[in-house]
Amino acid sequence: MNSFHPGESSSHPFREPAPLPSSIPKVNELGATSAPLKSAAFFIGAYCKEFNEDFMLCKAENRDPAHCLKEGRRVTRCATDLISKMRENCLQQFEAHWNCLELNNQEYPPCRKPERVLNKCMFEKLGLVKSIPGTTPGQTPIHEVENPLYGRMQK
Amino acid sequence: MPVPWEALIPFGLVTALFGAAGTLLNVSKRAQNQGKPPRYHIDSWEEMMMDRDQRLTGHARKQTSEPVAPEGFETSSVWYTEKTQ
Repeated sequence: MNSFHPGESSSHPFREPAPLPSSIPKVNELGATSAPLKSAAFFIGAYCKEFNEDFMLCKAENRDPAHCLKEGRRVTRCATDLISKMRENCLQQFEAHWNCLELNNQEYPPCRKPERVLNKCMFEKLGLVKSIPGTTPGQTPIHEVENPLYGRMQK
Repeated sequence: MPVPWEALIPFGLVTALFGAAGTLLNVSKRAQNQGKPPRYHIDSWEEMMMDRDQRLTGHARKQTSEPVAPEGFETSSVWYTEKTQ
């Protein structure tokens, strides 16, 4: 147990080509990349709250991937559902916001204007509100502050 | 006495060449990032997301908001392994 075994990286990264067994129900994976997901993040939090919480509690019990497959499928389905609804109802505003994020290192502070437009559209069409969990009760949330002190992260 | 304009040539040269070098670097960076400024301060989460973007679209900076992933996405993840002994 005390001997040293030097490791070496293998020359080819390992890829498992076999899909999941057919006993597990198939759910299509979410096709949105990082910027649209970051843009939709708070709305996914509002829309899929119960499923997300279930999944996190399940993971807290046991980190084994096989343990939380069912809750994971529910999370995927809910997120896919919300992204489809967002694209159906607020496509222009959504695209504007995540394109702005992509031009700014995916940081929220430089993109407040498109974000406000998107939040308005989401509230009108789908009734979802962006709320940051953990804001102290009296304070205005940072995305509603008109002239914030701090801007984007310095390079 | 006339203005010694020849003395200002080096200043102009230095400014122009600094500008050219800077512009070339900026253009090169943008070309590598599909016309967008490069990402900085990337942590492990962002690296993982950019790798996922690469698997979804073929380039780490190309974004798409399709609800459903393309065929073969489920089995395209790679594991970096290490041989011991």
